[in-house]
Amino acid sequence: MTTIRPFNCEDMLKFNNVNLDPLTETYGLSFYTQYLAHWPEYFQVAESPNGEIMGYIMGKAEGHGENWHGHVTALTVSPDYRRLGLAATLMKILEDVSEKKKAYFVDLFVRVSNKVAINMYKNLGYIVYRTVLEYYSGDPDEDAYDMRKACSRDVNKKSVVPLAHPVRPEDVD
Amino acid sequence: MAVRPLHMHDGGIVERRLRPIYDWLDNGNNKKALQEAEKVLKKSPTLQAARALRALALFRLGKGPEAFAVLDALAEEKPSDDTTLQAMTITYRESQQFHKVCALYEAAVKVEPTSEELYSHLFMSYVRVGDHRSQQRAAMALYKFAPKNPYYFWAVMSIVLQAKSADDTAKKGILLSLAQRMVDNFITDKKMEAEQEARLYIMILELQEKWEDILKFVQSPLYGQLVPGSTAQACIPYLKKLGHWRKLNLLCKELLWDNQDRWDYYLPYFDSVFHLMKEPTSDSESTADDTAEKCHEFICQLVESISSGRRLRGPYLARLELWKRLSVDGDPTALLGSGMALCVQYLRVFANKPCAVPDLRPYIAMIPQQEREEHSRDFLTCLGFDENSEPETTDDIQRHVSCIGAWRLSAAPLDAAACVRLADTLRRHYVRAVQRGLLTATATELCATDLYGILAAHHYFYAAMRQQSSAPVMEAVCLLELVLHNSPANFHAKLLLVKLYHFLGNAASADSAYARLETKHVQLVSLGWLHAARLPPAAAPARALRLLADTAAFHAHHAKDCVEHQTYSYKYGTFEKLVELMAWSARLERCAWCAGAARERALLALLAGPPAPPAAPRRLPAAPADNRDLNVILNWDPPQCQDTNLKERTFEQEMDYLRLKDALVSAIALCIELSDGRPIENKQPQYEELKTCIEAFSTAIEKCKEKYSAPEKISISGPFPSRIIAFVNSEVPYRELYSWTLRIVGALAVNEVEDAHRCLQRGAQLLRQAAGELRAATTSTSTSTGGDRAWNMRDHLEKLSNYLEFIGIITYLLGVCNELIAPLNTKKSKKKTNQSPEEIKTSELLNRLNETVQDSITLLVDVFENWPQYEFKTTLHEEFPTIDLEKYQRPVEEKLKNGRLEMINDISFILKKKSKYLKSLIQ
Repeated sequence: MTTIRPFNCEDMLKFNNVNLDPLTETYGLSFYTQYLAHWPEYFQVAESPNGEIMGYIMGKAEGHGENWHGHVTALTVSPDYRRLGLAATLMKILEDVSEKKKAYFVDLFVRVSNKVAINMYKNLGYIVYRTVLEYYSGDPDEDAYDMRKACSRDVNKKSVVPLAHPVRPEDVD
Repeated sequence: MAVRPLHMHDGGIVERRLRPIYDWLDNGNNKKALQEAEKVLKKSPTLQAARALRALALFRLGKGPEAFAVLDALAEEKPSDDTTLQAMTITYRESQQFHKVCALYEAAVKVEPTSEELYSHLFMSYVRVGDHRSQQRAAMALYKFAPKNPYYFWAVMSIVLQAKSADDTAKKGILLSLAQRMVDNFITDKKMEAEQEARLYIMILELQEKWEDILKFVQSPLYGQLVPGSTAQACIPYLKKLGHWRKLNLLCKELLWDNQDRWDYYLPYFDSVFHLMKEPTSDSESTADDTAEKCHEFICQLVESISSGRRLRGPYLARLELWKRLSVDGDPTALLGSGMALCVQYLRVFANKPCAVPDLRPYIAMIPQQEREEHSRDFLTCLGFDENSEPETTDDIQRHVSCIGAWRLSAAPLDAAACVRLADTLRRHYVRAVQRGLLTATATELCATDLYGILAAHHYFYAAMRQQSSAPVMEAVCLLELVLHNSPANFHAKLLLVKLYHFLGNAASADSAYARLETKHVQLVSLGWLHAARLPPAAAPARALRLLADTAAFHAHHAKDCVEHQTYSYKYGTFEKLVELMAWSARLERCAWCAGAARERALLALLAGPPAPPAAPRRLPAAPADNRDLNVILNWDPPQCQDTNLKERTFEQEMDYLRLKDALVSAIALCIELSDGRPIENKQPQYEELKTCIEAFSTAIEKCKEKYSAPEKISISGPFPSRIIAFVNSEVPYRELYSWTLRIVGALAVNEVEDAHRCLQRGAQLLRQAAGELRAATTSTSTSTGGDRAWNMRDHLEKLSNYLEFIGIITYLLGVCNELIAPLNTKKSKKKTNQSPEEIKTSELLNRLNETVQDSITLLVDVFENWPQYEFKTTLHEEFPTIDLEKYQRPVEEKLKNGRLEMINDISFILKKKSKYLKSLIQ
C-alpha cells in the first residue's frame, strides 16, 4: 500500500528510517537538490499510509546519440518495507520516465558483492553489461557491475550486448 | 567549484597562458596560481582575464582588500569577455558580494547588447540576489533578440515570484493575471513545448484558485501531449477542489482497478464516497459509490480480483480505512464487524512481512481502549503463537514478532515486574534463536530475530521507569550490544544505545554507538536532538564541540549551494522545484537546532577552549524552524500512552531555552564590545543595551520558571526533557549570578565605580551561596536513591554542566575585567602610589571574586574526582554463559568504566586550566 509521489526537499528531514541502513549513502545536500532541480521526474518516493518513507529512487537522463539513457543513481527501501516488490515498482517508474524521454536504455551500478540486488535487477530484465574495476572506493576497493536494460527505442538491443573485458572507472562515461 | 569555464572560446595563446593558473586554482594551490598569474601579467600587463584570476588567487589567500582593489579597477573597464567575467563572479560570490555581479553584467550587456550568454549571466545574477523584477526585465530583453521558450518562461516565473512576494492582494492579482496572459498567448500561438511549462501554467492558475481552468487545461490534448499518460491522476486534486465527487469517485475507481495498491488513489476515493453519502442521490443507476455498502462491496471486489500469487496490502488496508472513517460519527460494526477483528485479520495475512505492525499502528489506535485491551491477546494468538512459543524457522520468527508487536501496542501497560518478566522471555527467545542459527543478519541486512532483542530492550526500559531503577536499563544496554554485535546493520539497536547510554550519563559510550550510525550532512540537523544536543549536558565538551562544529559547517555551507541550485532550476526549467528549493533554503536558514548549536558552541568554547572572545553566531531567526525527526526511534506504548503533542511541546521548550542562550551570548558580546578602548562617553548606548539585555534575560528566566515547574516524563523515543527545565529550576540562582556578573563588566567599562563595587561584592556573595547549594545538591543526590547511583547520573551531570558553563563564562569575563583595568595596572607597576583608593578597591574586589570562583572550581574538581562508579550488573551472561563462545566481548562494563574516566579526566583538566588562568589574573 503505497503513495508514489515526487521526492521533495522536506523528505530529507524524515528519510532517516531509510538512510540509516548501511548500504544507503547520505549525500551532501547539494547532491539531492541538484537532482531535484535537474531531473525532478526521476526522483520519486514511496510513502506508506502512516506517512513513513518506505523507499525512494533517484536517477537522471544523460548521454549523447545512441548513448542517451536513463541512469539509476540510488534506489533504496527501508528494512520495514522490504519483500513487498517496492523496488520493482520504483524501477518501473524510472523506466517509464526513460521511455518517455526516448532513452535507448537504462543502466545502473551495483557492488559485485550485493547479490540480493543483482538478482533483483536480473529478475527485472537487467543484464551485466560490463564490470567496472575498483569502482567503489573502500578498504579494499570493490568492483561494480554496470547493468543495463534496453528501452523500446533500441529496437535491435544494441545497447545490451555485454562487453567481454572489464573497464576502469575512468573509461566509464 | 572548478574555476575553469566549461567552454574556453579562445583556443589560442590566451587560453594556453591561462591554463596553468586554472590548474593551480582548481588544485587549491592559490599561491602558485598567484605566481603564475603575475608571470602572465609581466608579459601582457593588461590582460583582463589574468588580472581577474590574480584577484581570485589573492582573495583565496586571504588578501581581500588587495583582491577587491584589482576587481574594482577591472570593473571600471567594463569587461565583457566571458573568461574575465566568470573569474570575477567567482570572487564576488565567494566573498558574498552578489550585487557586484549584477553591476558587472549590467555593464557588460551594454557593451554587447545582443549576447545571449551575457544576458543569461545577468539574469542568473539577479536570481542570486532575489531581484525578481530585474530578472523579468533581463529575461524579456533576452527573449526579444533570442526568442527561445526557456527565456520567455524565465520572465513568466519571475513575474510569479513577484506576485508571491507581494503583500498587496490587488498587486498580486494583477501580476498573476499578467503571467497567465503571457502563457495563454503562448498556448494560442501553439508555442508551448515542455512539461515544466505546463506545470508552471498550472501553478499560476492554482495561485489564482482557478480550479475549473486547471481541469480544462489538464484534460486538453495539449497537456496529454506534453505530459503523456498522467491526465487522470492530475485531475484528482482539482475534482476535489471543485467538489465534483461523483466524477472523482468514478475516476478513482477506474484507477484503482489497475493499481490496487496505490494509497494516493484510495484516499480521494474515500473522500468522494463520504461526500456522496451526504448528498441526496440524484441517479440511482449511477455506478458511483455513494453508500458505505457500495464502498465495501468495491473493496471486496478488489480483494477478490487480486491473483493468488502476491497478496497486496492495498484493499485490506482500505477496509481498515473505511472502518476508521465510518467510526468517526457512527458504528461501522454492522457493516464491517469489529475493528479489532479486522486488524487481527490483517495481521493474519501479513504477519510474515516486517511492515505488518507499522501498517496496523494507526488502526489499532482507533479501536476503543476497553475492547482493544480485552482482546489484545487475539493479536498474539491469531497464528497459533503465544509469548512462550519458540518458532523454528525465520519466517515464523517474523510472524511471531509481528504478533507480539501488535499485542504490545494494544494491551494495557504492564506493571514493573511483568515488564521484566516479558523482557526476560523475549531475551530468551532472542538468545535461543541465535543459538539455533535462526539469525539471518549480515553486515548490511538486519533480520526478524533482532526484533526480539529490540522489544525486550523497550520492556526493560519501561520496567526501569516504573521501578525508578537503573538495573533494567543495564540489562537493555547489554542485550542491545549483543544484538548489534550479531546484526551490525541494525540501526534501531544503535539508536536505542545512544539514547540509553545518555540515560546512564555516559557520553563517550553514547558517542561510540552514535558513530556507528554514520550520520552526516542533513542528518546533523534532523538527528541533532538525539546526541549532539545531549553532549554538553553530559559534561563532554570536547566531543560536543567537534559535533557542533560539523553542524555549523553544514549550516554555513547549505546557503551557498541552495542559491546555486535555484539557478539550475531556471537552467533546466524546473519551475515547480524552484519554489520548493527557495522554501527549503529558507527552512534550513531558520533552523532552530543550528541556531541553538551555534550558541551552545560559543558558550562551550569559553569553558573548554582558551580565553578568547566567542564566535558571534548569526542572528536568531524570527521564526525558527523545527527540523527534528522525532519518529526515528519507535516506541511500543499503547495509543493512550502516546505523547500526542510531543513535537510541539518540546519545540516550545527548546525555543525558550534558545532565547535564554541567545540573550546570554548577546550580553557577553556586548561586554566584549564595551571593553574596547573608546572614551567612556561613546559607550553609553551599548551600556544601555547591555542593561536591557540583562533585564530581558532575567525576566525570561522568571517566566520560564513559572512555566516549567512540573517535571517532564522521560520517553524512550523522544528527546530527553529540555535543558530549560533543569536550568530554571536549579538550586543555583543563575538568574542573579549571570545578571550580576554581566553588570560588573558593564559598570567597569563605563567607570561606574560604585555600581561595579556593589556588583562585585554581590557577585562573590552569590557565588559562595551557589557553591553551598551545589555541595548540598551533590551530597543529597548521591545518597538519596538507595545506592542506585546510575539512576540520577544524567540529571546530576546536567546540573553540574550548567554550573561548569557558568564557570567558563565568569572566568572569561574576569579576564575581560582585567583588560579593562589593565591600563591602570601598567601604571600600578610603575607608580603604585598614584592609584586612587577606588582603583585599589576595584582590584581587591576583583581578586576576591576571582578567588571565590577558584573555590567553586576546587569544589567541582572534588565532585568529579569522587564521581560515583557504575555498579555493573547483568543477568545476561549468568543466564546465557554460552554467549561468550560466540566471540562476544561483553563490552558494556568496560565502556561505562572508560567513559566515566574520560569524563573525569577531561573535566578535571579543563578545571585545572581555568584555575591556573584565574590565578594569573590576580594582582
